[in-house]
Amino acid sequence: MDEDVLTTLKILIIGESGVGKSSLLLRFTDDTFDPELAATIGVDFKVKTISVDGNKAKLAIWDTAGQERFRTLTPSYYRGAQGVILVYDVTRRDTFVKLDNWLNELETYCTRNDIVNMLVGNKIDKENREVDRNEGLKFARKHSMLFIEASAKTCDGVQCAFEELVEKIIQTPGLWESENQNKGVKLSQREEVNGGGACGGYCSVL
Amino acid sequence: MAADSEPESEVFEITDFTTASEWERFISKVEEVLNDWKLIGNSLGKPLEKGVFTSGTWEEKSDEISFADFKFSVTHHYLVQESADKEGKDEVLEDVIPQAMQDLLCMNNDFPPRAHCLVRWYGLREFVVIAPAANKDVVLSESKCNLLLSSVSIALGNTGCQVPLFVQIHHKWRRMYVGECQGPGVRTDFEMVHLRKVPNQYTHLSGLLDIFKSKIGCPLTPLPPVSIAIRFTYVLQDWQQYFWPQQPPDIDALVGGEVGGLEFGKLPFGACEDPISELHLATTWPHLTEGIIVDNDVYSDLDPLQAPHWSVRVRKADNPQCLLGDFVTEFFKICRRKESTDEILGRSTFEEEGREIADISHALSKLTEPAPVPIHKLSVSNMVHTAKKKIRKHRGVEESPLNNDVLNTILLFLFPDAASEKPLDGTSSTDNNNPPSESEEYNLYNQFKSAPSDSLTYKLALCLCMINFYHGGLKGVAHLWQEFVLEMRFRWENNFLIPGLASGPPDLRCCLLHQKLQMLNCCIERKKARDEGRKTSTSDNVTNTYPGDAGRAGDQLGPDNLKGTEKEKGEVGKSWDSWSDSEEEFFECLSDTEELKGNGQESGKKGGPKEMANLKPEGRLCQHGKLTLLHNGEPLYIPVTQEPAPMTEDLLEEQSEVLAKLGTSAEGAHLRARMQSACLLSDMESFKAANPGCFLEDFVRWYSPRDYIEEEVIDEKGNMVLKGELSARMKIPSNMWVEAWETAKPIPARRQRRLFDDTREAEKVLHYLAVQKPADLARHLLPCVIHAAVLKVKEEESLENISSVKKIIKQIISHSSKVLHFPNPEDKKLEEIIHQITNVEAMIARARSLKAKFGTEKCEQEEEKEDLERFVSCLLEQPEVLVVGAGRGHAGKIIHKLFMNAQRLTESSDEAAGMAPPEEELKRMGSPEERRQNSMSDFPPPAGRELILRSTVPRPAPYSRALPQRMYSVLTKEDFRLAGAFSSDTSFF
Repeated sequence: MDEDVLTTLKILIIGESGVGKSSLLLRFTDDTFDPELAATIGVDFKVKTISVDGNKAKLAIWDTAGQERFRTLTPSYYRGAQGVILVYDVTRRDTFVKLDNWLNELETYCTRNDIVNMLVGNKIDKENREVDRNEGLKFARKHSMLFIEASAKTCDGVQCAFEELVEKIIQTPGLWESENQNKGVKLSQREEVNGGGACGGYCSVL
Repeated sequence: MAADSEPESEVFEITDFTTASEWERFISKVEEVLNDWKLIGNSLGKPLEKGVFTSGTWEEKSDEISFADFKFSVTHHYLVQESADKEGKDEVLEDVIPQAMQDLLCMNNDFPPRAHCLVRWYGLREFVVIAPAANKDVVLSESKCNLLLSSVSIALGNTGCQVPLFVQIHHKWRRMYVGECQGPGVRTDFEMVHLRKVPNQYTHLSGLLDIFKSKIGCPLTPLPPVSIAIRFTYVLQDWQQYFWPQQPPDIDALVGGEVGGLEFGKLPFGACEDPISELHLATTWPHLTEGIIVDNDVYSDLDPLQAPHWSVRVRKADNPQCLLGDFVTEFFKICRRKESTDEILGRSTFEEEGREIADISHALSKLTEPAPVPIHKLSVSNMVHTAKKKIRKHRGVEESPLNNDVLNTILLFLFPDAASEKPLDGTSSTDNNNPPSESEEYNLYNQFKSAPSDSLTYKLALCLCMINFYHGGLKGVAHLWQEFVLEMRFRWENNFLIPGLASGPPDLRCCLLHQKLQMLNCCIERKKARDEGRKTSTSDNVTNTYPGDAGRAGDQLGPDNLKGTEKEKGEVGKSWDSWSDSEEEFFECLSDTEELKGNGQESGKKGGPKEMANLKPEGRLCQHGKLTLLHNGEPLYIPVTQEPAPMTEDLLEEQSEVLAKLGTSAEGAHLRARMQSACLLSDMESFKAANPGCFLEDFVRWYSPRDYIEEEVIDEKGNMVLKGELSARMKIPSNMWVEAWETAKPIPARRQRRLFDDTREAEKVLHYLAVQKPADLARHLLPCVIHAAVLKVKEEESLENISSVKKIIKQIISHSSKVLHFPNPEDKKLEEIIHQITNVEAMIARARSLKAKFGTEKCEQEEEKEDLERFVSCLLEQPEVLVVGAGRGHAGKIIHKLFMNAQRLTESSDEAAGMAPPEEELKRMGSPEERRQNSMSDFPPPAGRELILRSTVPRPAPYSRALPQRMYSVLTKEDFRLAGAFSSDTSFF
């Protein structure tokens, strides 16, 4: 199966503790939901191959613990990620408010600046919503992220979220290609800079 | 050749091509190409606008055809134009002469600064050239030339193509073309003469007019007027010495030992030679008529100063030697060297040490082997240090790659703290060295993955660059690196922090070498704290130790891989841990005042339930807000915890690989969590120690507050009470949190097993450093060097303010940040970046050179100065710049002066020294009339004379149509060319 895989992408899931990061991932990779999923310790890791627009991509997804104390550990895993899924819980405003901190963290630790970010509002199946969809939208727009609301429990939006993210990453030039694949782009620019040079039929009189 | 068969005819007529000759086939191929390119018929474009040959875009299409086995390339050159009105295209305009013929007379684009020679000679906007495809192939013999020309003629006639068609003959460098253009009833022949020696009578206007007239052979008298355009080009090569201010840096001064420490932090900049080699002044008389001026072999009216148009272009030196570019290029070359440091320096330095060989080599083998056992207890430090001294002494006698003065200066520059009186007092060195500069420029390092511009790594890169260029090349680099590594070891052994590195864990945005150095610093910091802690609390050593489970989990997978997962919260920054006896797994936390206070308060009242109620609380950091323990209402304390283990990116990579290898199965996930639970466990133990008698609920409220759910309930008495419980997931039986909690014993952080083994990590770093070859080193540091070069270029540009350069610098930055972020950038891409930087350097140098030459700084009047600056920047960016006001304008006067001075110099080189400043020069010249008399001798003889003669004359008979005639002549030092286009009416001939 690995032979026809276009690329392997590193994706990171972050967000406050208890917003359902691991549940989202479990829903995506195993299509199950476990209401009693143990709190993640450190980082966890799952793999799934998906196909977007006929391109197969292998996703290495790193799920992180949301607890403050683990936060000194997880940034190390931001390195080299091409996509980040930032999750909040629509029924807990505090998890939404803390998003800014997470973005700061991303900015500080990401090793590249063209990384694709996605905001996911989780637990929309629950009754007691505290964060309106529009707020999420607004936040995502402000920070130029993808946005979707989802529920790991009912499966709403989960698949879609991952697919969208992967599609976006694949569309971003230079983000996923191995370095050998993006050659020969700069040539024309450089020639212009050089200007003069040998006479190729076009020359001045002297 | 009738290529079209007529199948509809009743009688089948067989057209036989079997006997077609090569020549016929060649012609039909030419026709085919013309047809393919749709060059058939008459399409009139708009009249040519002024300067469109320069401002417009030229394109070309090529095809290959062969004559027998001789290959020709056919190329269509054309100026891209908005498609002219379409109706006009299909209309058959019987009387209209082809576009090309009309263009012969157009005066809007005479003497284009850069153009295809046929454009320059004939003013054409579109033409097709047939030339031998291979560069070495030549059509020489006259009969072949004629054959080609006839082919062209036939093809044009057959197709009705009105685009001029040329054949290139003779050697390519001679640029000899003959051609033809056909229209309905008209034809233009393009002819050419190319001579090396000029017949005397053709050096001036009157002689050329004679040829033109005789070529036309006009039967009319008087002759229709001939319009004349003339351009003389003067070349200025001889810039006086004082116009090029930049001196190559005085290398001897650097070597001589009088090196200011600062010099090593700076990159050189600028061109060593004048990057502007020539200035070409073109004086143009765009529209003269015969008889207005006289120009013959004895007298000429053509005074350049009086020419109505002046334009100037500069010739840039090809690849001028640029210091910065050379510097970076040379450094980049190290990347390709294969030698190891030892090979370069030779092992002899160690071998000759006689009696001490054994010890030293022993010490060094420690260096070069992975050191799983902490060896710091050995007196390696002393040995190495003495070895170091000996090496230095030794090298002083023989020729060492770096002389001592240079080496000492560099080391002092890299390690300024070594100069201070108390080197032991290393605490302050790191803190002061990193002013948190938030500017975009400062943060460039994280785009380049280099290192901050005030860091040791960056400075080291600059020094190595300098050494490589001026002081011993590769050997010098190897030598400095060896010294550097020894210094690192010395600092580790002696607890001196390394200066010039931001404190804290390695910054993953920097290059790996920088991270390694930061890592080493972290180790030194811990070791130092531990050693100092031991001094203060001599007898207080702990004996009852728990071999905490924390470490065990990690041991299963190799201790290295655990480090990062055991990172802990960094916000306990204020307190600092000191470590107990080094090679044991336990460390001692210095009791801080906070803890003492807490201790005093707590010690009295105890009485909680559970087994640990009687324990003395230990290792408290501070109270956690107003939270209290659930069972007894005591304040909840945040414990002192172990600090996070610093990680460099390669360690991290290794570790995440290990974690990923565990797979995605449930067991894998479990094992992974277990591996990473060491830090959780350590925190739990610290928490238990700080809060005797606490529950998991208490811990969770600190550690993961969202997992403690509080609800308002009304109790039996009707009061609102907050009732809390663990979240569902924390209550899962035997989940890892509960498990860990149950195993955790109340042990303060200071007595726990160390999560981070600084000794081993330090040895690993030192080993890593020691095995780096100069090439590895250069690759590590190249981003820093590129970073520095970009900063340098930026700085220099800001002095000159050249907008085009600004743009290119931006491009370079974004390009490099893309390239340098890959772990192993391709050489080709790196070369390209360096090349771009060099180009920018040359551009800036050119700007400087021009500014100096035109004296923009000296200009006093604001307005004039602005004009002049604009003029100079145009010179850099445009192929040719019009001089406003020609010889009378401000810029014109300066140019005149430049030529005048150069003339003076050639006339009498003795006077050069005593020459008066240019300002006075002009005054002395007096009135314009006087000057005019002089001006002929102010300029050298023109390096190029171009003339265009044009007329509309009936040919061949007086009653023929009047058609455009044109002759272009150019005369340079070693080249004389006449290019004539003579049209005739073919209707009755």
